[in-house]
Amino acid sequence: MDYDVIVIGGGHAGIEACLATSRIGFKTLLVTQNIDAIGRLSCNPAIGGLAKGNIVREVDALGGEMAHLIDDTMIQYRILNRRRGPAVQSPRAQADKFAYHMRAKHTLELQSNLELFMDTVVDLMIDHDKNIIQGVITERGHKISSKTVVLTTGTFMEGKIFIGQYDAPCGRLGEVAAIGLGTALRNHGFKLGRMKTGTPARVRRSSIDFSELEEQPGDDPMMPFSFDYETVNRPSIPCYITWTNEKTHAVIKKHMHLSPLYGGKIVGKGPRYCPSIEDKVVRFPDRNRHQIFIEPEGAESEEMYLNGLSSSLPEFVQNEFMRTMKGLENVEVMRPAYAVEYDYMDPLQLLPSLETIKISGLFIAGQTNGTSGYEEAACQGLLAGINAAQKLKGEDSIVLSRAESYTGVLIDDLVTKGTKEPYRMFTSRAEYRLNMRHDSCDQRLTEIGHKVGLQRDEKLERLKDKLSQIESVKDLLRHHSYNQKNAFQALKMPEVEIDEMMTKIPKLSNYSEPIRYQTQLDVKYEGYIKKQDKEVQRFASLESIRIADDFDYDSVSGMSTEGKEKCKQIRPRSIGQAGRISGLRTTDVAVLMVHVKKWRSKE
Amino acid sequence: METYNTDDIIYALATGWNQSALAIIRISGKDCLKALSACFSRPKSLLNAKNATLLHGFIVGENNHKIDEVVLSVNREGHGYTKEEAVEITTHGSLAVITEIMNLLSKNGMRQAKGGEFTLRAFLNGAMDLTQAEAVHELVTSQSQMERGLALGRLEGALHNKIEEIKQDLLLAMAVIEVQLDYAEDEVEDFDFPKEQIDNALHAITALSNTYESGRLYSQGVKIVLAGSTNAGKSSLFNLLLKQKRAIVSDIQGTTRDYIEAQTVIRGIPVRLYDTAGLRTSSDVIENEGIKRTKELLDICDVIIYLVDGVDENTVVDRSIIDDPKTILVYTKRDIKHRKEAISISTITGEGMDHLFDAILEKTASGISISDDSTLVIESSRQHKLLEEAREGLTTAIELNAIDMGLDIIAHEITTAITALGGLTGEITSDDVLDKVFGGFCVGK
Repeated sequence: MDYDVIVIGGGHAGIEACLATSRIGFKTLLVTQNIDAIGRLSCNPAIGGLAKGNIVREVDALGGEMAHLIDDTMIQYRILNRRRGPAVQSPRAQADKFAYHMRAKHTLELQSNLELFMDTVVDLMIDHDKNIIQGVITERGHKISSKTVVLTTGTFMEGKIFIGQYDAPCGRLGEVAAIGLGTALRNHGFKLGRMKTGTPARVRRSSIDFSELEEQPGDDPMMPFSFDYETVNRPSIPCYITWTNEKTHAVIKKHMHLSPLYGGKIVGKGPRYCPSIEDKVVRFPDRNRHQIFIEPEGAESEEMYLNGLSSSLPEFVQNEFMRTMKGLENVEVMRPAYAVEYDYMDPLQLLPSLETIKISGLFIAGQTNGTSGYEEAACQGLLAGINAAQKLKGEDSIVLSRAESYTGVLIDDLVTKGTKEPYRMFTSRAEYRLNMRHDSCDQRLTEIGHKVGLQRDEKLERLKDKLSQIESVKDLLRHHSYNQKNAFQALKMPEVEIDEMMTKIPKLSNYSEPIRYQTQLDVKYEGYIKKQDKEVQRFASLESIRIADDFDYDSVSGMSTEGKEKCKQIRPRSIGQAGRISGLRTTDVAVLMVHVKKWRSKE
Repeated sequence: METYNTDDIIYALATGWNQSALAIIRISGKDCLKALSACFSRPKSLLNAKNATLLHGFIVGENNHKIDEVVLSVNREGHGYTKEEAVEITTHGSLAVITEIMNLLSKNGMRQAKGGEFTLRAFLNGAMDLTQAEAVHELVTSQSQMERGLALGRLEGALHNKIEEIKQDLLLAMAVIEVQLDYAEDEVEDFDFPKEQIDNALHAITALSNTYESGRLYSQGVKIVLAGSTNAGKSSLFNLLLKQKRAIVSDIQGTTRDYIEAQTVIRGIPVRLYDTAGLRTSSDVIENEGIKRTKELLDICDVIIYLVDGVDENTVVDRSIIDDPKTILVYTKRDIKHRKEAISISTITGEGMDHLFDAILEKTASGISISDDSTLVIESSRQHKLLEEAREGLTTAIELNAIDMGLDIIAHEITTAITALGGLTGEITSDDVLDKVFGGFCVGK
């Protein structure tokens, strides 16, 4: 056996997967089509955002790398939704995408137990009698054996890009698609489908007239995503805002027939939450303008990203409509906007560990599973890596709860309900989002990271210290008064902030800002969290009724045939998960529950 | 989907919902003895009771108020119908008493069982023969159909549509809020809190929920208390109301209560009539206790008929009762003297009785806000409870918005309300909200 783990693809899922297995101690190979493209930010030059920023911090708490990468390469930082309530606030940073990629590549290069190899995987080696993965076959004919494989091919599997009537077999503009692997997977019996996404044009900074545009600065100070340190020292570069107008829309409408989307050339389903500009114009005819953000691609680059202007219209149309917009009158396009269509694997074919049901030892993560976004990819890659390692160790897989992390919600949604459009995380997908604040990810996940071997003992110590500091601040509040009230009670008032108490309670300044902030949120939300905890407990009790991996659904008399088929297809891990399978009847779940209990007592 | 919780304590009336000599309320679930001991007169005996034993005592409400004398039969875990720790309360079969006990159980952390739930627990705990799994399936299926029948029995046609309509309106309001939570402030348009939509939904839910009161009046009867001094003619009126309608179901001399209770029908509405002997002035300790109970009865009843001797000009009246909005002031002895300033009746000639009946009808109706469509009436307590949950969620959401609380918390309250409505018409998933968001807003960069 050449390797313990082979990871296919060096994107955000692949990075986390190969770092996790090699750091846990398994001999890992990363096979990528292009070593110069590791950790590339193919679309917007930013990491984080609502719910996504939480995911980055979850990855960090578990021992992943994404937070470190963005902390070292950010060129603007903001906390979004400050006014909407702490549970839905989240950090977002603009990234220097060139620096980000270099930092990612270098991190992998320095990692022990990890080898990097440039080639394209065209097929998997599978023992079809035992349904076990055995390794990969590459384009140049290498047969490399391994005990486990993590597949993270993103948009590259049978990728095809579209600009107007032009199309080409690419995963990204100018980068060849991975041809053959999708077909091979189909031949191995996997169900694949097509999805579509798009990206806007990159334009030259010096061709934009910024004088009339609204500037959008970042927060000061910039804060790290990682829990490993308390400050970041990076430059802050502003973004700018412009708007489309009726002239822009007129140009788009006039040439709509040239869009490959409306012409029926693209069959893949695109995301509703991230529509192309032509989509916005068609679907919201009453709106006479749409907001466009102009974001720097890097500190040492002239390329600017036009966020909100993704399109697959022909280049001459793109040029024409861009030049109707304020500030862009003389804009020079460096890379055009384009759409990309690619193969994805129906994620219902996965267990909650991200291992395929069909082939033991084959894990799939990232955009290949029908998700969208760097963060969504990273957290899957990390969990796939962790679970490949758990399998190699012979230990039970790690499945995060819907009640403790967005990562848990994401994977549960994917493997239980599947997805029909590129899946992006939203706070509203989480039932218990009040418990899932970004500032407390470490409290929920560090221990799991430690358990699987990704977080060192000192991280647990750090967490304990943080918790005891928070308790000390709470005690301090309980023993002081503020506004003729007990300070602890006074802080529950929406308008009262902990920092304004510092003049009355000077000892508060002995604690760092993050500690004070988190205490404030704990105090303000105490009642609601308690209320939600009851719901969480109820939820957890059904989750805790595990269904054995080898549970024989055919032996369950009394369950409908349709229900059995659904369960055999999805293989729920618990009664709770079974309850979330779309269309599975309550009665089937009840009967299943009876038999699962009997099955367990038999064993 | 609806899931079965098996870790909490459930209760249900095992005997029929009607006036009878005895009734049985069944309770099942881990630690139910402990939960019940909080409202039983002999908590220690209950906690130490062995399996299959009987305990005599009182169910005790707030302020040590004895609700009824009961016998408890105790089943320890592993025994009995559900094989869970369980108790059966045998109580007197007055609907008022049953209702009071069941409310008390809810207050003490137990919940009303859904239809078939005891049977389901029996299955799950292996109390029933599970070897014939096919039979289990049929049973579980029929149980859940019963449950659906119970839950949705009244939710056909107009009522279902009404709730669905409210729910859809709320979903739209929720989408307005969620879009603010799922997108950054610079990605979405300025936002007004959808207060009007939420107010409207709250109003509709409240109206619907309140019909439960009228539903309850028809099924359990209006509680009418006759009050006034002894010589005012209360007993005459009491007897007249009973005789005239010849609809006496029972006539129980309260053993622990100082009033007489009887059932009759006035203008088609079932009525529980109380003659309060307790308002007699007395320095006797027992009498004072009676007065206290009468006051409590005045608090919980729907209508008070306050009788004043129409002849005796010097009668001292209790202003606090007369000023109560549910009080009807009535002068008696109209055959001797006809007082024009209020309703005046004669229990001998029957004069003025129609006016009194009109007034009773008016009072019972005015205390209840009938929903826009008077055919929509909530009848099951489960429906009522869900509507009340929805009402509480929306009320809290509006209050929190008024004090500028974070939208994340407010959204949680509205979700609670939508989930409760979902319990009436089918569940809502987060995908439903996202569909509204994507359908109605231009979002995303």
